[in-house]
Order: sequence, then structure tokens, then C-alpha cells
Amino acid sequence: MNWLKKKKVLVPTDLSESSYEAIAVAKAYVEDASGLQVIHSLSPLHPADPAAMWDTLTDEERKQKVHSFISEKMNDLGYTGVHIEVTLGDPATQIIEFAEKTGAEMIVMPSQDHKSLSRFLIGSVAERVIRSAHCPVLVLKS
Amino acid sequence: MRQLLSSFKYRFYFLVAATVLIPQAVFAQDGEGTTASVGILESIFQGIINVLNLVFYFKIGGENGIPFIVLWLVAGAVFFTLRMKFINVRAFKHAIDIVRGKYDDPEDEGDVSHFQALAAALSGTVGIGNIAGVAIAIRLGGPGAAFWMTVAGFLGMSSKFAECTLGQKFRTIKPDGTVGGGPMYYLSRGLSSIGMRGFGKGLGVIYAVFCAIATMGAGNMFQANQAYAAVSNVIPFFENASWLFGLILVAIVGLVILGGIERIGAVAGFLVPFMAVIYALACVWVMLVRFTDIPAAIGTIVSTAFVPQAVAGGLLGAIVIGFQRAVFSNEAGIGSAAIAHSAARTDEPVREGIVALLEPFIDTMFICNMTAIVIVLTGVYADPASADLDGARLSAASFATVISWFPYVIAIAGFLFAISTMISWSYYGQMAWSYLFGEASVNVYKALFLFCGFVGSIINLQLVLEFSDILLLAMSIPNLLGCFFLSGIVAKELESYMSRLNSGEMLESVLEAKERVLR
Repeated sequence: MNWLKKKKVLVPTDLSESSYEAIAVAKAYVEDASGLQVIHSLSPLHPADPAAMWDTLTDEERKQKVHSFISEKMNDLGYTGVHIEVTLGDPATQIIEFAEKTGAEMIVMPSQDHKSLSRFLIGSVAERVIRSAHCPVLVLKS
Repeated sequence: MRQLLSSFKYRFYFLVAATVLIPQAVFAQDGEGTTASVGILESIFQGIINVLNLVFYFKIGGENGIPFIVLWLVAGAVFFTLRMKFINVRAFKHAIDIVRGKYDDPEDEGDVSHFQALAAALSGTVGIGNIAGVAIAIRLGGPGAAFWMTVAGFLGMSSKFAECTLGQKFRTIKPDGTVGGGPMYYLSRGLSSIGMRGFGKGLGVIYAVFCAIATMGAGNMFQANQAYAAVSNVIPFFENASWLFGLILVAIVGLVILGGIERIGAVAGFLVPFMAVIYALACVWVMLVRFTDIPAAIGTIVSTAFVPQAVAGGLLGAIVIGFQRAVFSNEAGIGSAAIAHSAARTDEPVREGIVALLEPFIDTMFICNMTAIVIVLTGVYADPASADLDGARLSAASFATVISWFPYVIAIAGFLFAISTMISWSYYGQMAWSYLFGEASVNVYKALFLFCGFVGSIINLQLVLEFSDILLLAMSIPNLLGCFFLSGIVAKELESYMSRLNSGEMLESVLEAKERVLR
């Protein structure tokens, strides 16, 4: 199995419980958890969101909060040393760009990433990642 | 990778371009073509309205009876006023204390202060309805309709209190610190907390569907329609170019809500309160100039409230119109404002509910009444020569009798009010949309929203009004139904809050928290 081992595996998360299951699968491909990268993309705040209207919550603060949220979650699940990345923008684009930038060797993600109408309208994130990622993508079936 | 980026972006920009360019191509043709295509759009909307009318507007008590949906709203407002023992009166002073920041606890969870939450909600409520809606009410229901608007505003304070308290109580704080709140959340989470899980989930979904559709009407098409009326009233160039006006309006709103140009939003956010003050001052000006006529005007409003003249449906007709226009303006019972109020920084749901009851007061009992008095005072509504004036044009004509250049102010204020209200409502709609379909496709919602805004500015007022009315009022069905079931929770919270407030322990703990943070 050693030849299957990778140095860097990227796991996108939408912060749902099912998306954490992908981490367990990804873990099998790396030596230890430090080879794992977890990424989450935030959508920009609507300008009429009270927090945006009054500028009481910056995008940096939001990223920071999600970062500590995921890192706590990783500790709970027993993964230490996982690299966590929080970005702002369209999830598929962010995942692909980040994978390319950091030279990830594989992306592991669940297929049920969002609700059906959105999938119909714009295609699922997984679909779009498969199409354009520079590395192999493992899509888990739920 | 680039390919993916562009494929996604193309798909999206295609949608936007289609919404903007297709109508342009269609309407830029000669006059005949324009009328024909507007005719098609109008007949589509008429068809939708006819179906909706059948469902929500069936009249209880025969031809001149009261429409079911209006009775529902009246019943809700009366119920909450009695159930909460006139919270609208007894908590009024406390509401002002809270907004002034006396009870702001910096250690509580949430995004904005009580004042900021109220202001955010008000930017959705105070719209062109405050100028145009009152005129429509008086045109349809006589001056007495303004009296019933005030009554509706007064009672609506209690429904607003109940829904915003629930909005706070059942909100969720997301991992990024933003707040998810509003009827979708309190219907599903609230009802499931009292053992009605399936029912709550269903109501939450129904609400979100109604909300996503209704935001296309009242907070969008109606605003665009009346902004056009106000602007073309003073710039005759637009008289035959409603499509151009629609494009400009939609382009500005689009720049803000599709991201990027937040500046415009910030500018509108600053100008709108400013315009509201100018508007209020102008009302006072008119009242001062015609000071001696004020008692007679108020007399007319009150007397025709009970003995309306030449109003379809008589007394009941005037009441129905008053309530309808009031709710259209202040959103009490509709639930939408609870989305904005949920963001307030507090751990006392009742406290934000009490802040929220100021909304119908400011919007309806204060601003709408000023407009009403000006219209009745100047008597333009009763002048046979201006019988064809309605909405924003009637208000503008009323002001013009005293301040000749005031229609220009109405045009600017109306335009800005419309932009800020459209931006706020696109937020409510987006929250409902993402509750149903996830965040990934919100740009699809935004494109639809912009398209409807464009349509609103080119089709006639009557259609826009009917469409917007039904859809907005329909939101009150799942919302108030859920609120009835949850009223026990609100009443209990309120009782506990009031006893802690009256004992003085509440202020003490807030002061202690403020000190801890300063240290």
C-alpha cells in the first residue's frame, strides 16, 4: 500500500457532519494528519445583512472564526496538525485554485454537497472540481 | 482551471445579460412593439394574480365582505395585543431606553447593537410605500383609510413584537459569526421544541417559498414602479422610456447586490435617513403653512373612517384598505423584519422584540400619518381635475400646492427609498432562497430579482399592486399560524423579562458586564 501514500491530500468541507467523514477516508492516504489540508469557502455577506451594513463583522473576522471552529472540530475528531484554510468566494473555484497552489496530490470530497435545485442550476461543486482539478479527485458516495 | 472558471462565470453572466438585454432589445423597438410585449408580460401577471386571488382573497361574507387574508392579519394583530397585554403601550418607554443603548450588553452574542438592528430593519420598511402607499389608500378607501392605517400600525406593534422575539429566541449563530434567523428558523426550530416537528418544518419551508416569491413584489416591483412614477413625474423624458429607467434602477441595485460596489449601498444607507428627515420636515412645513386647516383635516380623517363616502364596501372597505396598506408598509405579521432583528447583540429575545415594536410606530403611525395629513390638508385627492393621479404622483401633487419644487424632492427621495428597500428585500429573499436551496445558487435568485425589478418599472401600477399585495400578505399565513402556536413561549419569556426588569436586577447585570469589558 505504500506506493499509494500521498504527501498532501485536500479535503473540502461545508462544515456539515457528513463532510467530516471524508477526512477519515483521506487520512488513509497520508502518513499522518499533517498531510491533510481542510478547506472551507465562505460566501460574501449580502450588503443588507445588518453585520455588513454596519461593518461590525469583517471578512477577516469571519475567516478567523471559521478557522478556530474547524480546528476545534479536528481536535475533537482526533486529527492533530491538519492544515486549515478558509477562503472567500465560489467553493469550486477556491478548492481548485488552492489545490493547484499548494500542490495537493489528491482531493477527497463527499458528493452530496448541496441541495438539489442548486445542483440542477449550477452543477454540484464536486462535478466542477472533477472537471477542472489538476489532480485526482475521489468522490465519496453517501 | 481557467476553463472551469470561465464556464461558471459565463453561465452566470449569461443569465444577468439575458435579464438585462432581452427586454432592452424588445422594448427598444418602435412604440407598437413595446406595447405588444408589455401586453404579453401584463397578461402573464394578470393570470398569476387571478389564481392567487381565488386562493387568498376569497371574501368572507359575500361580495362586500372582508377578504380572508385581511381578516387573518387583523385577528393576528388583535390577538397578540391582548395576549401580550398591550405590550405596544406598556413597553414603549422601555423600547426607547433600549434603542438609546441603556441595555446594550457587550458580552452577549450577536452582530449589531439594538439601534443598528432597528435601523437595518427600518431600511426595509421605510420605502416608497410611505409616500405612495398612503396616497393609494386614500384614493381607494377615502381619507378614513388613513385612520385605519394608524389603528393597524398600533395593533401591528404587538405582532411585530411577537415575531421578532421569536426570531431572536430561535436564531442560530453560524460558525463564521453571522446570524441565521427569521420565520424559517422559528417555525421549524420553535415548533419542533413544542413537539410539532413535522408541522414546523413544513411551515418553515412554505414560509421560505412565499418569502422568496413575495420579495419580488412588494420590496421590488412595487418600489421600482412607484420610483418610476415619482421620477417620470418631474423628468418627462422618462415618460416614454420606462424601460430605460428600469435598466438604470436595476443596474444600480445589481451593482450593489451582485457584490463589488458596496459603496453605493453605503451611500444609500447614509442618504436614506437624511431624505427621511427632509421628507418629515417638508410635511411639517406644509402643516405649518396650512396650520389652521389641520383640525379640519384630522376631523375629515376620523369622521370618514366611520362613515366613508363613495368607498367600495363602505366602512368594511375602508378598514380592509387601511389594514392592507399599513401591513404593506410596516410588515407587521409578515415576519420579514425578524430576519434583520435576529442579528441584534443580546441574550434576551424579548428585548429585541420590544425594540421591534417601534418599527410600525415610526413607519405607520408617524411617517404614513404625516403623508396622510398632507394629502388630506391640501385637498388634491378630492379635486376632480386630478382624479387620475394615484400613488406617488398624488402625493407629489399634494406637496406641490404648497412647495412648488417639492415633486423633485419626492422624486429623489422615492428613488433612494426604492433602492435601499430593494437591497434590503433582496437580502430577505436571499435568506429564504438559501434556506431552501443552499447558498450556492443565490446568484440565480439575484438575477430573477433584478429581472422582476425591471418588469415592475414598465408595467402598470394596478397589476404590480395586486401581485405584490397578495404575495406579501400570503407570507402572514405560515408566519402568524406558527406565532399563534408559539405565543405561549413568548408570553412566558415576556413575563420573566418584565419581572426582572422591574426588580432592577437587569440594569445591574448590564452595568456589570459593561464594566468587565472596559477593564
